[in-house]
Amino acid sequence: MLTSSSRRRVVITGYGMVTPLGKNTEDTFEKASQGKSGIDYLSRFDTSGLPCRIGGEVNDQWLEKEEDEKSLRLLAFSSRGLRLMAKATREAAGQAGLDHVVKRERIGCVLGFHGDNPSVEDLVLLHRYYDGKGWDSRGLLSLEGYSHLNFLRRKPDVGGAILSRLFRCAGPALSIASACAAGSQAIGESFRIIRDGRADVMIAGGCDSQLNFVGFVGFVLIKALAEKYSTPQKASRPFDRKRSGFVMSEGAGAVILEDLEHARSRGIPILGEVLGYGVSADAYRITDTHPKGLGAVLAMRGAIEDASLSSADIDYINAHGTSTAQNDPTETTAIKEVFGERAREIPVSSNKSMLGHTIGAAGAIEAILTLVGMNRSIILPTINYEFPDPKCDLDYVPNEARRKKHGRALSNSFGFGGQNACLCIGRYDDRDDGPSLCLDSHAP
Amino acid sequence: MKEKFISEETVLEEVKKGVAETLNRDKASIGPEDSLMKDLGAESLDFLDITYRLEQTFGIKMARHFVLEHVEEMFGEGSAIDENGQLTDKAVELLKIRAGGDLPAEIHAGMDMDEVPTLVTVKTMTMGVMDILDSLPGACAACGNSAWKTENGVRIVCGSCGANATFDNGDDLMKAWLSKVQEEKKLF
Repeated sequence: MLTSSSRRRVVITGYGMVTPLGKNTEDTFEKASQGKSGIDYLSRFDTSGLPCRIGGEVNDQWLEKEEDEKSLRLLAFSSRGLRLMAKATREAAGQAGLDHVVKRERIGCVLGFHGDNPSVEDLVLLHRYYDGKGWDSRGLLSLEGYSHLNFLRRKPDVGGAILSRLFRCAGPALSIASACAAGSQAIGESFRIIRDGRADVMIAGGCDSQLNFVGFVGFVLIKALAEKYSTPQKASRPFDRKRSGFVMSEGAGAVILEDLEHARSRGIPILGEVLGYGVSADAYRITDTHPKGLGAVLAMRGAIEDASLSSADIDYINAHGTSTAQNDPTETTAIKEVFGERAREIPVSSNKSMLGHTIGAAGAIEAILTLVGMNRSIILPTINYEFPDPKCDLDYVPNEARRKKHGRALSNSFGFGGQNACLCIGRYDDRDDGPSLCLDSHAP
Repeated sequence: MKEKFISEETVLEEVKKGVAETLNRDKASIGPEDSLMKDLGAESLDFLDITYRLEQTFGIKMARHFVLEHVEEMFGEGSAIDENGQLTDKAVELLKIRAGGDLPAEIHAGMDMDEVPTLVTVKTMTMGVMDILDSLPGACAACGNSAWKTENGVRIVCGSCGANATFDNGDDLMKAWLSKVQEEKKLF
């Protein structure tokens, strides 16, 4: 096994996002640092009669008009989630100067994406050709059939394929469908691919848009969404006693990961570093988390060990913090298990209080916000924190962003079914032995 | 309802059947006092599955919320569950009234709300269905006749026009019961 000093270091040379809060990384971070909420009543489909009618929609005006022929052609196969991803990736790729990398076979792509939900139109159409016993296939095929484009939009594998094509990546490609952990896993697996020498550059991230009737109702049925809220902006309240479920959002986040030497040889600015990645499964239940958060503990410890660090080196935790009854106390318990006495000293905050839960995109968006916060010495807040819950007793950075130097952070993502991922992210330090160990973590 | 069209035994058997099918267990091994979570290994998603099965079977709409959640909504936060997420004295008093007598020893003031779902047993689920079936109106809403009859042993239909019987939904019944108890006992 390679020792930490001889291992390839993996740095971040570009990032991009589109979220309910902002049209890009800068816009999102700026609003998040002011504690603004991107949640409102849903407008794109009829929610009347549903117990939850809110979510985080991306403003359509933020999506650029596709003009070149290739993008227009690929757009036909793309779900809304992928359109968001294309936008986020353009921002990241532009920042990293990805177009100028010559060896395209050394650029890979890992995407956290679940495909689109079946459209209501398709379901209605299919229903007309089924009598409860058999299909009138001839009738279906002789007419319009159901849209073959919609068929492709539903397939998670198509996402990675389109992204690779759009950004001319001929290296390793992987599609990841692990619910709320997908965005983090995409970054973590990409990190490992570069560290193992299988690629020099990776596009990694996740996207999701399930804000349509079929997708949304599924989450209503399993009672996962917030149903009690005074205003939409107050509904997502991670770690607060009056939380009642998560708020569903759409969005995308993309990072460009790169082998340190490769980035140096290109002279491209280095924005941060992925130090470690932990991944685990609860192997417990489908929607219940393990009561002691064993899977979450394994993922956090895995990330810290993978980074050759100890828990004492971590300055901040970007929590999964969904605002559900189950996740928040379980995550708190897991953090206490990993950090022991120090748990109460470490700031822990949840971006979902402002952005809602972007499912497959969340891990990527939160990893980027973690990094931007680190580079600016700002810790984003957990907004709507009003009523302490005795089971959630850590420092959640309530309601207002905090100015504080911090150099190493964990970003947690724990998916339905107990699929857990944790990224250890660090400020970039150009010394050869890795990031500096002595940041003043108690600076105001 | 004035006359029980569906017996408690029938409902109990249907609950056992729903639980057995959801949890892939032998129906004969399931007893009325079994806790779905503690004894039969159910998880939260399974409650929904069992609920859907019973709704399909009887043509009813079961409660989606525990009675204490309704108390919090109707009589103010903190009335049933305190700021530590634990049952209040009044909540225990109310559960005693609902159970019609003594409660199992594990239910006491200070009990963690997270433990409450473990109290759901095959029998409490059966009682939930019975309450809803008891809301059968005197006459058919469609034709106005009073000619209910039972089909397949589990579905009540109008013997005159064939329409399915309509029942109050579980959450509404619970709220109505709470209003009545509050009027009589002034607990909250």
